[in-house]
Amino acid sequence: MLAVLSFLAVAGISKVYFREQQFLGDRWFSRGVAALQNGQSDQAVNSFRSALRYSPNNYTYELSLAQALAALNRTDEAHAYLLNLWEREPENGTTNLELGRIYAAKGEMDLALRYYHNAIYAAWPDHPDAHRRVARLELIQFLLRENAVTQAQSELIALAANLPEDSPLHLRAADSFMEVQDYEHALAQYRDALRLDRRNASALAGAGRAAFELGRYDSAQRYLQEAVAGNPQDAQSTDLLQTATLVLQLDPFRRQVSAAERHRRVIEAFESAGKRLKACLVLSQPRSLSTSDNDVKLLQARWSDLRPRISDHGLRQNPDLVDTAMDSVFAIERQTNGSCAAPTATDQALLLISKLHGGN
Amino acid sequence: MEAPAKTQPETIPPRQEPARAAVMPGPSARSLFHFVFREERFFLVLSVFIGIFAGLAVVCFRFAIEWSRIYLLGSGAPTTLRLLLAPSLTGLVIALLVIHVFPLARGSGVNQTKAALYIYNGFVPFRTAIGKFITAALAIGSGQSLGPEDPSLQIGAGLASALGRRLHLSRERMRLIAPVGAAAGLAAAFNAPISAVLFVIEEVIGRWSAGILGSVVLSAVSSVVVMRWFLGSESLFRIPPVGMVRPAELIAYSVLGLAGGLASVVFAGGITTLRPRLKALPRWTQYFQPAVAGLIIGLIGVLGAPQVMGAGYDVMDQAIHGQFTWQLLGILAGLKIIATILSFVSGTPGGMFAPTLFIGAMLGACVGGVEHIFFPHLAGSTGTYALVGMGVLFAGFLRAPMTSVFMVLEVSGNYSIILPVIVANTFAYVISRGLLPTPIFDVLTRQDGLELPSMEEQRDESVLRVEDAMQPVTVPVLDDDEPLAQVLRHLGESSSNNLLVRLSPSGWNAITREQVQTMVNEGKGELSLRSVLPMRQLPWLHPDQPLDIALRYVNESPVVPVVSRADLRKLEGVVSRDDVLNRYKSG
Repeated sequence: MLAVLSFLAVAGISKVYFREQQFLGDRWFSRGVAALQNGQSDQAVNSFRSALRYSPNNYTYELSLAQALAALNRTDEAHAYLLNLWEREPENGTTNLELGRIYAAKGEMDLALRYYHNAIYAAWPDHPDAHRRVARLELIQFLLRENAVTQAQSELIALAANLPEDSPLHLRAADSFMEVQDYEHALAQYRDALRLDRRNASALAGAGRAAFELGRYDSAQRYLQEAVAGNPQDAQSTDLLQTATLVLQLDPFRRQVSAAERHRRVIEAFESAGKRLKACLVLSQPRSLSTSDNDVKLLQARWSDLRPRISDHGLRQNPDLVDTAMDSVFAIERQTNGSCAAPTATDQALLLISKLHGGN
Repeated sequence: MEAPAKTQPETIPPRQEPARAAVMPGPSARSLFHFVFREERFFLVLSVFIGIFAGLAVVCFRFAIEWSRIYLLGSGAPTTLRLLLAPSLTGLVIALLVIHVFPLARGSGVNQTKAALYIYNGFVPFRTAIGKFITAALAIGSGQSLGPEDPSLQIGAGLASALGRRLHLSRERMRLIAPVGAAAGLAAAFNAPISAVLFVIEEVIGRWSAGILGSVVLSAVSSVVVMRWFLGSESLFRIPPVGMVRPAELIAYSVLGLAGGLASVVFAGGITTLRPRLKALPRWTQYFQPAVAGLIIGLIGVLGAPQVMGAGYDVMDQAIHGQFTWQLLGILAGLKIIATILSFVSGTPGGMFAPTLFIGAMLGACVGGVEHIFFPHLAGSTGTYALVGMGVLFAGFLRAPMTSVFMVLEVSGNYSIILPVIVANTFAYVISRGLLPTPIFDVLTRQDGLELPSMEEQRDESVLRVEDAMQPVTVPVLDDDEPLAQVLRHLGESSSNNLLVRLSPSGWNAITREQVQTMVNEGKGELSLRSVLPMRQLPWLHPDQPLDIALRYVNESPVVPVVSRADLRKLEGVVSRDDVLNRYKSG
C-alpha cells in the first residue's frame, strides 16, 4: 500500500516536473527564434542551448542551435551538432542542406556534393520542391565557385526541368547557364522569364547576350533594343546592341540581302580589312619581322592581288569572288586580331561574321 | 567528508537478535508466513520493494536537483551575479544544515554505507537519508562540482535500513540490507543496474555470495525499472556510434590510460592532502568552507567555464559529441579537478562519480583530439575516446576496475569498445596503484578514524595454500591388502614411526609401528592391514586448498595426506601441524 501511494505521489510530482520542463524548453526556444530573427545569433545560441537542456532530444531545438552556430561561423560546433542530427535522421532535408553548406564553406567537394544531393532527394515536410530547388541552386553556386562547370551544368539542366512558373527563378537559372556558357539553355530560360514578365530588363538583356553569343544577331538586336529602351544605363547591352547592329549591317551572307547590297557589303568589308592590314603593317615596321608579320605580308599580297577585281562590276561578273573576297577578309581579321592594334567596331563585327560563317 | 569515527549514529543500532519476521501480527499468521516465506525468501521479495522505494527516491532526488538549479542558477545561462551568489550563499545554508541538523550527511555516502555494513549492523539513520537528499540537491543544484550518484547510493541504503528496522529483520539480514539499498540507489542514479551491482559487490561488500547477489540484483533491477518508468530509458548522455576500427588504435588508448592514471593521482592526491588540513582548521571555519568553495567555483564559472558547475552530464554529452576543441576539453578537465576537490574537501554533501566521469570524458576527448591532429590514422571518434576516458578515471580514481569496464559497456550499449576500455583502464589502474597505493575511499575512512576493510587490499591478499606447507612423503605408504607381517618388514627398513595406508577403492588411513608390532606379536601376522585399521579414515587435502583448511585436520593425525585431485590414491605430499605453523610463521 505504501509503495502504491508513493508511486502515485511521485507520478504527480513528475507530471508537474515535466510540464515545467516543457514550458521552459518552449520558452527558451521562442526566445532563440526571436533572437535569430533579430540577427542576434549569439543570444540565439544561448537560448537554444537552454531549450535543449529541458528537452535534450528535441530535433528542432538542436537543429536551430546548429543553424545559429553556423550563422556565427562556429562551424565546428555546428558541424558536430549536425552530424548527430544526421545520425538520428539521415533523410532530414534541413540537416543535409546545413551539412552541405558547412562542407561547401570548407571547400570539401565530395562531402558537400554528398550532403547537397541528400538534401535534394531528402524528405521535406513542407514545400519539398521549393526546398529541393534551393538546395540545388546552392549546389550549383558551389560548383561554379569550384569551377566544376560540367557538374554545375548537369545540375542546372535538372533544375531547369522542374522550375515552376516563376520569372525570377527562370532568370536565376538562366544567369547560371550563362556562367557555364550554356547559352542555348540560358536563352530558353530567359525566354521563359520573359514569357512571365515581358518587361523584365534583366531578362531582356540576358536574352540579348545569350542570343548574341549564339550568333543570333537579329534576335540579340531585338532583345537588346528592348533592354536598352527599358534601361538606358545598361552600358553592356548598349555596346552589344551596337555590335549586333553592325554585324547585321555588314554581313553579306544574310538571306534577306539583295545582290547589290551584298556586293556593297563585300566591298565595304574588303576595304575595311585592307585598312586594318595597312595599320597593322605600319605598326610592325620598326620591329624585326616575325612569323606573324610574314603572314600579314602574305595576306597583304593576297589582298592587293584581289583588290582590282573587287568592285560591283567585278562581283557581278564573277559571283564566286564574293566568297573569295570574304575569305580574304576573314583571314585578315583573324590574323590581325590580337597581334595588331585594337580593332575598330567594324573589325570586331567582321570578326564575329567570320566566326558565324567561317567557324573558328 | 565522511562521518568521523567519533560521530555515532543517532540511535544505537540493535545488537540483539530480533524476532524474525515480526511483521506478522499473530502466531498462526506468522507460522503461515514462515511456511510460505522463510526469511531468505522474504528478503528477496523485500529487495524488490527496496528497489522500488529507492527508485522513487532517486527520481524525486533528480527532480529536486533540477528544481534547485532552476531556482538558484536560473532556467537559462546563469548571470554573473547568480554564478557567484548561488553556490556561496547556498554553501552557507548547507553548512548550517550539515553541522546542526544532518551531521552524517557530509561526504559522498559510499563509506557511510560501508560503515553501516561493517560497524553498525546495517544501521543507516533515516534522518541521514533525508539530510543527504536535501543538502546534496541544494549543493549540486547551486553549482557545486559534485554528483548525485553517491548520495543516491546512501539514500537507497538509508531507505533500505529503515525498512529493515521497521520489519525487524535479523541482524544478519540487517547487515546486508544497506548494500542492497545502496545498489538500488546507485542503479537508479546511473540507469545502469549491472554497474551498480558490480560496484556494490566490488567496493562495499567485497565478496560474491549467491544469497546477497540475488537481493542486490533484484533491488537494482526494480529500482531501474521504476526510474525508467518516470524518466525514460535514455542514458545520462546520448551515445553516438562508437567503436574501434583498427587494432593500432590500442596504442592511442594506452596513451589515454596513462594520462587518465596521472589525472587520477592528481585528483585523489588533491583530496587526500587538502581534506585533513581543512578539517584541522577551527570549527567555526566549517560554517564557511562550503561557501568559499562555492564562491571559487562560481568565479571559475564567471571567468568562462560554467561547464564545471554541477554534475555536468549535459556538458559530458556535448564533449562526447565533439562539440569542444581539445584545448577547451583539457582546460575543463583541469578545472573540474580543482572544483571537485574544493567542493568535496569543504564537506559539502555530494558524490564523486559524476565529476569522475566528467573529468574522464573531457580528458578522453582531449587526448582523442590531440591524437587526431598528430596521428590521424590512430585516433577513433571523439565519442569513443570520451567514453573510454570515463572508464579510465573510474578505474584510476575510484579503483573499481571491474565496474569501470562494465559501466562503459552498459552506458554505451556497445560491446565493440571493450578492448580499448580494458587496455586503457588497466594502464590507469596500474599507474594509480603504483603512485597512490591506498585507494581514495580507504584513505578517506582512515582520515575519519575508521578501519573499514579495504576491498582492494582484500583482493590483493596472497592466500597461503596447502602446497606452500606440504612436505615430501617420508613415511612408508602401503596398500591396505598387505599382511601385517609384511608391513612390519617394510617398517623395519624405515625410521618412521607412522605408516600411511592407501585404501581401496579410495581413502587413506594411518597406523603406528607399535600397533603393527603388537598385532604381529599377538599372532595376527597373516591378517591384512584392512582388517585391523581404525574405522575412521584420515581426512585428506589437495595442494591448491587454502592452508586455513589444513588447520582443521592437523590435530586429528600426525600427518595429513595431500592427494591429487585427478587420482585420490596418488599422494602428492603430507602436512603436519608443525609444517602449517612454520609456514604461517615464515609469512
